[in-house]
Amino acid sequence: MDNEFIKNRMHVTRRHFLGKMSLGLGSVALGSLLIPDLFSGKDDTPFPVGLPHFAPKAKRIIYLFQNGAPSQLESFDYKPLLSKMRGEELPASIRMGQRLTGMTSGQKNFPLVGSHFKFQQYGKSGAWVSELFPNTAKIVDELCFIKSMHTEAINHDPALTFMQTGAQQGNRPSMGAWLSYGLGSENKNLPAFCVLLSRGRGNGQGVYSKLWTNGFLDSIHQGVQFSSSEERVLYLKDPNGRDREDSRKMLDHLAQLNELNYQEFGDPEIQTRIQQYEMAYRMQTAVPELTDLAQEPDHIIKMYGADCLTPGTYASNCLLARKLSEAGVRFVQLYHQGWDQHGNMVGEMPLQAQDVDRATAALIMDLKQRGLLDETLVIWGGEFGRTNYCQGDMSNNNYGRDHHPRCYTIWMAGGGVKPGIAYGESDEFGYNIIRDPVHVNDFHATVLHLMGLNHEQLNFKHLGRRYRLTDVAGKVVKGILA
Amino acid sequence: MLRTSRLLLNIIFFLQVLLLFLFFFEDRLSLPVWLQVAGRLHPALLHLPIAGVVFGVVLEFTQGQFKKKAFEKFSLNVLVLTSLSASITALMGVFLAQQGDYGADALTQHKNSGIVLSFLCYFLALTRFYAKRRDILYYGLGIVTAGTVVFAGHSGSELTHGIDFVLQPLRKSSPTEDANASAFQQVVYPILERKCTSCHNRTKAKGRLIMTSLEDLIKGGKNGKEWVPGKPAESRMIQYIHLPVSDDDHMPPDGKPQLTKQEIKLLESWIAAGADVEKKLTDLPEPDSFRILGTASLATMYIVQREEKTYPFSGADEESIKEMNTPFCSVFPLYQNSPALQADFFIRESFQSSSLERLKEVKEQLVVLNLSKMPVTDNDLRVIGTFDNLEKLNLNFTKIDGSGLLSLSSLRHLESLSLAGTSVTTQSLGPLLTMPSLRELFVWNTQVSEEDKVKLSATYPNVTIITTVFKDDQILRLSKPLLVNEGVLKKGDSVHLRHSMPGVTIRYTLDGINPDSIASSTYEQPFSLTTTSTLKAIACRQGWYCSEMLETTCFVEGLKPKGAHLMTPPDKAYPGEGDKSLTDGRKGFIEDFKEPSWLGYQNNPLAAAFEFDEGTPEKHSIVISYGKNTGSHIFPPEAVEVWAGRNSQDAKLIKSVKVTQPVAYDTPQISALLIPLPAAKHTYFKVVVKPVSKLPTWHSAKGKKGWVFVDEVFFY
Repeated sequence: MDNEFIKNRMHVTRRHFLGKMSLGLGSVALGSLLIPDLFSGKDDTPFPVGLPHFAPKAKRIIYLFQNGAPSQLESFDYKPLLSKMRGEELPASIRMGQRLTGMTSGQKNFPLVGSHFKFQQYGKSGAWVSELFPNTAKIVDELCFIKSMHTEAINHDPALTFMQTGAQQGNRPSMGAWLSYGLGSENKNLPAFCVLLSRGRGNGQGVYSKLWTNGFLDSIHQGVQFSSSEERVLYLKDPNGRDREDSRKMLDHLAQLNELNYQEFGDPEIQTRIQQYEMAYRMQTAVPELTDLAQEPDHIIKMYGADCLTPGTYASNCLLARKLSEAGVRFVQLYHQGWDQHGNMVGEMPLQAQDVDRATAALIMDLKQRGLLDETLVIWGGEFGRTNYCQGDMSNNNYGRDHHPRCYTIWMAGGGVKPGIAYGESDEFGYNIIRDPVHVNDFHATVLHLMGLNHEQLNFKHLGRRYRLTDVAGKVVKGILA
Repeated sequence: MLRTSRLLLNIIFFLQVLLLFLFFFEDRLSLPVWLQVAGRLHPALLHLPIAGVVFGVVLEFTQGQFKKKAFEKFSLNVLVLTSLSASITALMGVFLAQQGDYGADALTQHKNSGIVLSFLCYFLALTRFYAKRRDILYYGLGIVTAGTVVFAGHSGSELTHGIDFVLQPLRKSSPTEDANASAFQQVVYPILERKCTSCHNRTKAKGRLIMTSLEDLIKGGKNGKEWVPGKPAESRMIQYIHLPVSDDDHMPPDGKPQLTKQEIKLLESWIAAGADVEKKLTDLPEPDSFRILGTASLATMYIVQREEKTYPFSGADEESIKEMNTPFCSVFPLYQNSPALQADFFIRESFQSSSLERLKEVKEQLVVLNLSKMPVTDNDLRVIGTFDNLEKLNLNFTKIDGSGLLSLSSLRHLESLSLAGTSVTTQSLGPLLTMPSLRELFVWNTQVSEEDKVKLSATYPNVTIITTVFKDDQILRLSKPLLVNEGVLKKGDSVHLRHSMPGVTIRYTLDGINPDSIASSTYEQPFSLTTTSTLKAIACRQGWYCSEMLETTCFVEGLKPKGAHLMTPPDKAYPGEGDKSLTDGRKGFIEDFKEPSWLGYQNNPLAAAFEFDEGTPEKHSIVISYGKNTGSHIFPPEAVEVWAGRNSQDAKLIKSVKVTQPVAYDTPQISALLIPLPAAKHTYFKVVVKPVSKLPTWHSAKGKKGWVFVDEVFFY
């Protein structure tokens, strides 16, 4: 990797050269203004890309994204007051002018509603978990709940994009792409960033490839979406009538042609393409080994639940995520759709929880028994929270909740986070944060930190300025570091 | 012009004398209030002489660019004005020194240098005024003046901003993360250092309070001690902090960086906890609020300076590391500039024992080795045993049986060893458990039983032994079997069922009856079908509940008509591929009714004509394949008519069927409507498929017209 970056730098175009010359002195002066460490004896050469800046706690990430925003109030943030005050109006002193989505802006009143589902404390840590997550409840002592997440966006697409790329508009590199860029691939036979999709039975929201884009980074860092069908990576098999030998020859010749092209134009994307062909060739061996779930022993299947044998389910994605991660894939991104309970919370939430609960807990424990949990960071959560008041009609046995960006809960486990703690706290209404808020930028900074990367130094120059996953903000949340 | 200069020089002379006078008799004077005000302008005015001197120096370098006469005049004026401002500034400085609480040494230094500077400027101006020529004296004086400006300016800045103000950012502040440091050092002093000590230090000592040393701090300022242990409300420091910002006694003074709420809370809780300067945070009782706040602030106050592990060895040769890297073996430093290496192996087929030998070159540096799933044997462990500095070794799912584990006992630094999924036995673990540094041993999914684990853990408490971590005795439901075939079965194709779990029995029916786990036929191998049938299948296995039922229609290719023709047009939005849609053998997808296999009708029934060659076999049934998605108003047809004869004129209604309608929302699926026909040698068929005229009352759009979607019609 390094080598290619250096090579690329050597290919300086006339325009670059002139530009560099004229800026020369000025940029040294400006640079010393902008980079405080410039004269403090630290190395000011750009970071060699592909290695952690310091000893990492986690080497790989599995991000179990719960797309659509699961309600924190029906899962992990227990607020008995809401049940006591059921039907009463949300006090203005609590709402404090919070803006509304278009879906509830026409609503005349905002009656509070508590969880329909019972909560109980579990484990040594005494974490509160609702009855919908019986298996997650068994592993709470491995989890680090962050109950004080907050975001800026109030609708799915911007919030999701923000959570994944650090910006609400699209086209910035996704977390996985940044990590691939910063750390490179551990296993050259697989993409460093893999994406697995599944759909639950609840009201769903779409996911788009812009969420796993490489943005302005080299396209080798783009997330590779696995198919939900039996054939998890499409077009990987040699077509009928062509064997591996032929493929090899074809690729060798193709690489020569591409190399000629590269000599002429110097476009790094050509090199990327050569590498991708090579990787795809090696994936022909690596992928079948991974996706053959039948090789898994019976007790593993039982752990994840029988659904894990049906391609495209959350459970099968969890199992595959473990196998990919075990094989050195830097970032496995799952999306499970269907968590958007504007209405019918009582009907849909249990189905959604049922889909993910068992397999999620199994994933954590499976990593643990293989000795991989301490080097793998697992993240579970959505793009924002849900309101403490009811959206739409509130009946005796059903209600809905709208989007709530001001406070929500996610959890992390494994590599470098404190197990068995709850960080941050929401008020009794579950509406505002009263202790240790964690902004999305802070979350990103922390994740990078756990992976051995300084979020301020992992940057990429594009359109005249250096971009970061955390852009101009973000503080590492020290309180959750083990 | 000359006259003005002379006048000004005289004024300056007077000021210089006054300055000297003040310098010597300072102690005996008491300043009138208005002079105090003038004194306070010193920090503003001092920029004039600095700029003047600098400008003068610059002028000297650029004289060639101006007309000589004009330049002389101009530069003289600059010098005179600089001198004037220097005198006034120095005077004001003396006034200010009278009232401030500045530390003696630094102040004297600044005062003296300021006075010297004003004299230097004066002499410089005089030299310039009388000796028209520039000589050594002039330049020498100029250089000394410039130097003095730097010195006086710097010593002044130290008075206001604190010692070493300029170079401070370059110095690494090293927050006390020492575990032995007291809570005061760790969390309280840093606050004082950030917000207080720029005025309360040995050089400045406002209010005669010095906060830079513990002794002085405890002694307090001119008003006595700053705190009453245990009583924050009565402590002066806290009282001053809480005064309104407009109050003169408010601390830090208006305009200086203020304490944050969190910092105030910390100071208060520290005083409330007894204002102890020696105790550690951990010495305090756990519910103590200072301990809680302090611990939290420790976590956020400092950038975590990771204790990077140091290794006794130096890094390996970069070139040789590069050579070791192949697609099947990654060797890389743990992080930038770390000498320690990690090696990972991938792709089982590419692994050979010699692959390990190649690592010998970096055997000193190798700290992490991951051989998970590689065909490593006990023999190979001998090579691994020579990697002296190995800390983490992953041998999960390798081919070892434990007989070679003894070779690993030489690894003095090994902390974590994973043997999950191997055939190691409890006995073979013996030599490992006495290894000095081993902390974790993963033996899940091996012959090591829970009981063995308990016994071993009792004998070797230093090693955490991990076997099964997720116990669950619940019986679970299997997943459904999968139908491998897609689309229409052609002659000779067979139905292919599959289940991913080994040992599963698939039971199925083709007659519409739900299969059970005892009586229904067992699926042994792919089977063929003669006609379109409903396949129902379940998966069963010992120790599991049978799966939910797979229910699907297997469509079988029928007799091909020579021509097909749509007699009524489909809805404009769902035109399919026109006439050929119904007989092209292409099935639609249930997720996408816009896809061209589908024909959609709402306002009028589907009517289609099919013609066969003379001599084709008798048709005994028709199958209409239709889609259903109740939520999207797509229902089974309400009724179907089949007309038949030799040709269109001759055709008669031979069959008319009504179709059972759903009674609630159900899952979308593609179904087959099988219509048995009275046997006859017809060559012309007309099929009329009527959409539901009114959606049922349970539907949210009750009363509206329903849709019918058909993708294929089969004849048998």
